[in-house]
Parts: sequence; structure tokens; C-alpha cells
Amino acid sequence: MALAVLFAEPAWALSLNPDAGSPGIAKANTLHTIVFLLAIIAIFGINLAIARAAKPRTLYVANSGAKSKWSSGRVAGLLSVFAIALFVVGTIYSSSSRSVPESKATVAGADADKVLNVKVTGQQWLWRFSYPNGAFGYHRLIVPAGVTVGLDLVSSDVIHGWNVPTLTGKAQAVPGKTNRIYFRADETGIHRGWASVLSGQGYADMEAVVEVVSPDDYETYVKRLKTDIQFAQDDVERTLADEARKAMGQ
Amino acid sequence: MTETPDGAEDGVEEVAEEVVVEPEQVEPEAVGETLAGTEPGNRPEVATDGSQDGRPRWVELATSADHKDIGRLLIGTSVGALFLAIVELVILRIQLAVPENGLLESVTFDRLLSMYGATGIFFFALPLAFGLFYFLIPLMIGSRGTALPRLGQIGVWLVMLGGTLLYSTILFTPPEAGINPLPPFSEVAFTTNNGVDAWIVSTGMATLGLLMLAIDLLVTLKHLRAPGMAWRRAPVFVWSGAIASWLFLFIAPIFLAALTMLLVDRRLGGSFFTGGAGGAPLLWQHLSYIFLAGTYMLVAIFAIGAITEIVQTFTRRPLRGRNAVVRSMIAIAILGTLAWTQNMYTAPIPSFWKYLSMFLAIALIVPFGVIFQSLISAVAKNDFNMSAPLRYAMGALSFASVGLIVEVSQSMLAIGTQLQQTYDAWAATHFALFGFAVFGGLAALSYWYPKLTGTYLNEERAAKSFWLTYAGGLIALVPLFGAGVEGQVTDAFRFFGGEGLGFFNLVSSIGTLVLFLGLVLTIGNLIRSRVEEKPAPPDPWRGETLEWLTTSPPPPHNFDVLPDVRSANPMSDIREVLAKMDSGEARETRESEPVA
Repeated sequence: MALAVLFAEPAWALSLNPDAGSPGIAKANTLHTIVFLLAIIAIFGINLAIARAAKPRTLYVANSGAKSKWSSGRVAGLLSVFAIALFVVGTIYSSSSRSVPESKATVAGADADKVLNVKVTGQQWLWRFSYPNGAFGYHRLIVPAGVTVGLDLVSSDVIHGWNVPTLTGKAQAVPGKTNRIYFRADETGIHRGWASVLSGQGYADMEAVVEVVSPDDYETYVKRLKTDIQFAQDDVERTLADEARKAMGQ
Repeated sequence: MTETPDGAEDGVEEVAEEVVVEPEQVEPEAVGETLAGTEPGNRPEVATDGSQDGRPRWVELATSADHKDIGRLLIGTSVGALFLAIVELVILRIQLAVPENGLLESVTFDRLLSMYGATGIFFFALPLAFGLFYFLIPLMIGSRGTALPRLGQIGVWLVMLGGTLLYSTILFTPPEAGINPLPPFSEVAFTTNNGVDAWIVSTGMATLGLLMLAIDLLVTLKHLRAPGMAWRRAPVFVWSGAIASWLFLFIAPIFLAALTMLLVDRRLGGSFFTGGAGGAPLLWQHLSYIFLAGTYMLVAIFAIGAITEIVQTFTRRPLRGRNAVVRSMIAIAILGTLAWTQNMYTAPIPSFWKYLSMFLAIALIVPFGVIFQSLISAVAKNDFNMSAPLRYAMGALSFASVGLIVEVSQSMLAIGTQLQQTYDAWAATHFALFGFAVFGGLAALSYWYPKLTGTYLNEERAAKSFWLTYAGGLIALVPLFGAGVEGQVTDAFRFFGGEGLGFFNLVSSIGTLVLFLGLVLTIGNLIRSRVEEKPAPPDPWRGETLEWLTTSPPPPHNFDVLPDVRSANPMSDIREVLAKMDSGEARETRESEPVA
């Protein structure tokens, strides 16, 4: 059974994130399924043993004085072997879950390794996303499908918890330090998650939305975003200049 | 007998002589009473007659440097804190019972959460552990008191003043930066009012006070053990007190330094943890998590020590694998504290640290497994009397097993970054600490209740409130695993509908009300039994440790005759000698039969 679980990528009820959106999270799901099964067995095993041990008995059982099969040394030895096995399995899955995924496509603005770098700034209480072409947006991050995205998490005030469980897992945005995480979303769709480190009065409403679109749509989006931001800025400056001129004229 | 100081033989003679006066009066079950000397004329040393009379009990408590009074004050503080913490938890859970509840404002929720965390850690769990250590360890090692009683007296008052300070903020602005106030959020730029300062000073006072108690305990353990009380003969609870005190000696100064730095940042313009001005926000996480991880382990070690004593007494056998249990406690203290970075899986620190703490956390399976196997099989293989202490002890093992197993699951890096900072992690920590601190603490309190108060604990009410607490704890915590897997983050004052969280939260809130009822009945039983129940004899359980030699409650000087310890089970030796003397055998045979 454990072997079947090892090689399958289960998307059933036991899975942590049935709608995992990136290969890394799918790996984390598999690890979680293995560990979850072991944990359930261990929890029920120990608690049944406690319940059986503590059941009132009327008959006095004489302790034969014979050495128990389960001496502390033997228990420690068996548990050590189990712990090492668990650590090996956990390390294999964790490192593959956290490794940088290979990019399957590329978009304008990606670096030499086809990785699209986006700077994510946490601030009270929303997320700001700066794209490679200089465009920026708040609250909603648009990423291309099939392209590896590298997020550089920073903060401009307090520590914020980046948390989009179906894509990346959690990572802190700490002021003065860059926390770099990678993911690759293979299918288009929307992923969201709530910030996970208490950051003040707006913390409960601090949400991050990641929308995965096709690479073409992504390129159109960031190009449009950049020109529109430039347009909005020019517009504001023009209006202010007009007002200033009017005031001078009077 | 190389460790026995001079004069040990005199002690033996005195024990023997005193009893020999009227051998026909000695009854096997009243051994301790006889030895404690109910007749003033027979007392070999200065007794309490005529001294310290006429002072009211509260003056006595307020001015006493006696380790038993200090221990009682600490235990009383912690029971009061338990009540306050559970009230706060109930309000927090009522707010989270339904989606988008408008009962509490965001800031009120944060304040209650901060108070709940500080109360649970600094004024319930740690004072309970150190209160029981401080009350019992001098008795268990056959000492007349502690080595540095004034230090202990300052310590207990620091803890109590710290608690008073924390709760006086209700009149002003309570702390609002969360259970662990991470800078820069807890810097004055983001939390401008005095709440966080009050948090720093009150937790600092509690930590400093408990550190003084730990130092006093360590000096006492070094210098004031009874003749023959070698370390290999010391009870497991004494070992757990020694390990816990050593651990606290390492972690408390680290936390005090961090608190000082945060206070300097806030009030004196420092920049230890500031984000922009060259400070290191991550430094606080390292320092505070070293302390919090160590505290977690300290509470576990305390509970394991108490449960081991209970299991040994109620199965009437020394624990098989006792030395393995002691070694495991040392391993838990070291591995568990060094695994502090498993709280920082999401922080930007090198991967090496994350895999190291993952390894250490998984390695904890071995010592905890050895302890659980040893304790459970001792109960399974022997006859026992089910009574309140053993029931609480089994409840503690049951709750702690769930919490520890889920903690190990979350120590896997890939799972940890998914489930940490969700209610899954909250539930796991609560399972473990509820098991060790609440059930383990209640096991210890009910086991030593006759010694602490001089009366029995009402068994019937203890059983009822135990099952209510146990059921309430399960209903309150198990659904939170589901909420955590669904992704609900902790510390948020509300959650939104449509994410599959409503059911889990509602059930958990109902369970918290049951838990509240159970704990209120438990605390009520602790108070009522003291007034209503009949007085307890010196040794109601036939224990194997020296605190059962003296009266319940013990006299100010603890023992009329300091016992001479000859094995790990000194009370068995004393009973054996008395039985032999009863049957008329000569005293010389005893001298030629060293039991160890």
C-alpha cells in the first residue's frame, strides 16, 4: 500500500491540496499522503494501547519477572531506523518539492534560464507585484502558464506571510531581506490564499490572488498595464499642469 | 556509601530509636506518621512548637521564604492563569464560530490573543511546572528547605507581579502584537501604544523570576540532598526538575536578552530588530523560538517526570527502563530546543538550518517513543488502582501523542511550509501542550494534592470533570485539523464563508465551551476538596519517594528526622525495617543489609 502511494500522485481526499497548481505542491501532496497514513496508524495505535492498558482489570496479573521482549534499547533501535527512513523520505520529497522547476515555455521579460522574476512587496495590508518590464499591480498577480516564476519576496514595513497554498506554500516577506521562491503553474486558473503572519488590523483581509493565464495573454497584460500606468501618470500630470496654468492665468 | 556525608549513621540510629520506643503502635500503613513524630516529646530536633504562632495565614504566605509556601503561591497563580486563559480562549472561539462574525473588532481579537498566549505560557504552564518542582524536590531529596530561599521568594513575587502587570493593562491598552510579537510589527512604529511594552516587562519579570527558582533548585540539588541520595537513586521527578532547570538556565537568558533589545528598540531608539535602519527582524525569531521551543520541551519533561512517578506508585513497581526514561528526557531537552528553526521554515534562512531542524525534530521520535512505550507497558503489564492521578496521566499521554505525531508530520519541510501558521499547527501545538501542561499538570496536582493541602481530592468529581475536559478538548481541537488542511490561517480575527471552514470552526467552538465547563469543574473540585474532604494521612498512595515520609501537609522544617537513603525506593526500605522491628527481629540485621 505504501508503495502504491509512493508512486501514484494521489488527488483524492487524503491529499493536502487536491487542486495543486504546481509540480512542487504535487510532490508535497504525495509526501503528505504518506505521512498522513503513518500518522493515523501511529495515533490510533498509541491511543488504543493507552485505552487497553488503562482498562480496569480485576484479575491480578503476576509479573513473571521474565525480561520483556521490548526493552528500551530495542525500542530505541527500531525507532531510530524508522526515524532515519522517515528523514530520508521527507528530505527526498521536500527537496524535490522545493527545487527550481524547469521552464516549459518562455515569455518576454524572462531571464536567460527562462525564469520570469517578479518582485513581490508586502505592505500593510496588500501585496504589490513588480513585473520585469516595469509595470506593477496590486492584490492580483498575473503569471504565464508553463513558465517558471521566481518571486522575490520583500516587505516595506512589517513581516508578511506569503501564502498561496496551491502554488507555492508559505514564505515570509521580511523587511531588509529577500526571500526567493519558485513555482511553475501548468494550467490556467486562479489560486488564492490569505496572508499568514499577523501584521496588524487589516491582516484578516490581506489576500493574494494569483491568476495563471496563457503566455500570450500574460505578455498582452503586462504591456497594456505598463502603457496604461504611463498613460494614467501622464494624464494626472497634464491635469495638474492645466490647473496650475489656469491659476496663473487668473 | 562513598557519597554519604558524615553523620549519616546517626540519622539511622535516630529513626530506629524513635520507633523502638513503642513498637506496638507502629502500623504498616501509618509508618510516615510515626516517623514524623506526632508526639512533641519524642522529637529529636528543634520542632515548631511555640514558634511563629498567631500570624494570619496570608501574612505567612506573603512573607514566607519556605519552599512549600512559594510553591503553593506559584501553583495558585498558575491555576488562576489557567482559568483566565480558558476564558480568553472561549471568547476567541466564539468570535470564530461563524464566518465574518462582527462580535469582536480586529484589535480586540489581537489583544485577547496576545493575553491568551502570554497567560498560557508564562503564567500557567511554566509556573505550574516550577511550582511543583519547587514544592516537591526539596521533600523528595530529603532536604529541610532550599539552598537560596530568598532568591526563590524574589522569584515567585516577580512572577506574580508580572501577571498583575499583564492584567492591569486591561484598564489601559493590552498588548496587541500576537502570541509571539514579531518585530518590526512589535516595534513602536507599528504598535504605538504601551501594550507591547507591558507584554515585554511582564513576560520578562516572569522569566527572570522563574530563572531564579531554577537556580535555587539547581543549588539545592547540588548541596542539600539527604545522606545517601545519590543521583542514581534520585526519583525521576527530581531528574526532570534538574533537567528542566538546566534547560531554563540556558534558554531564559537568551529570551531576556531579546526582550531587553526589543524594549531598547521601542523606548530608547535602538535598532536591533528594525527593518530599515540596519536591524535584523529575523534575529528576534531565532532568539524567541529558541526560548519557545525550549519551553515546550520543558513542559513535556515536567509532565513526563510527574507521570512516571504516578505510574510507578499506582502500579506499585519501579518503572522498568527508568534510566532510559531519564536519558530520553535529556535527549528531548537537547534535540527539541536545538530544533527551534522548525518554526522558521517560511523565513529566509539557509536551507541547511531547515533540514537540520527537520532531522532533529524527527529524531525526537526516539526519546518520546521510548518514554511512551515504557509508561504504557508499565500500566498494561501490572495491576493498578485507577484513580484521578493515573486517569489524568493517561489522558496526558493520549493528548500529547496526537500532538507530537502531528508535529513530526509538520516538521517535514514540504508539509511544514503548507501547514505551519494554519489551524493544523495550532491544533497540534495545543494537543501536545494541552496534554503535557493541562492534563499532565492536573495529574501532578491530583497526585500530590494530599501533600499540598492535607486533604484528599474528591475522586468522583475528579473523574466526571476529567471526562468532560477530555471530550471537550477532543471536540475543540480535532476539527481544527480539518480547518488547517483547508488552509485557515491562525491569528486572523475572522474568516470568510464559502471556503469549507464554517463546519469545522462551529464544532470547535462548541467543543471549547464543553472544555470550559470541564476545566471550571476541575478547578472547582481543586478548591472545594480542600474545604470539604477528610484529612489525608502522610502516605495515602504508598508512594516510594521521600515526600510521603512526612506529614500532609509537611511541617515548616519538612522532616523531624532526616532520612538515610539506601536505595532508589527509600520508603520501601523504611517500611521493611519497621515491619522487621514489628516482628521482633534485631536491629543489627538491618545494618548488615544495605539495600542498594
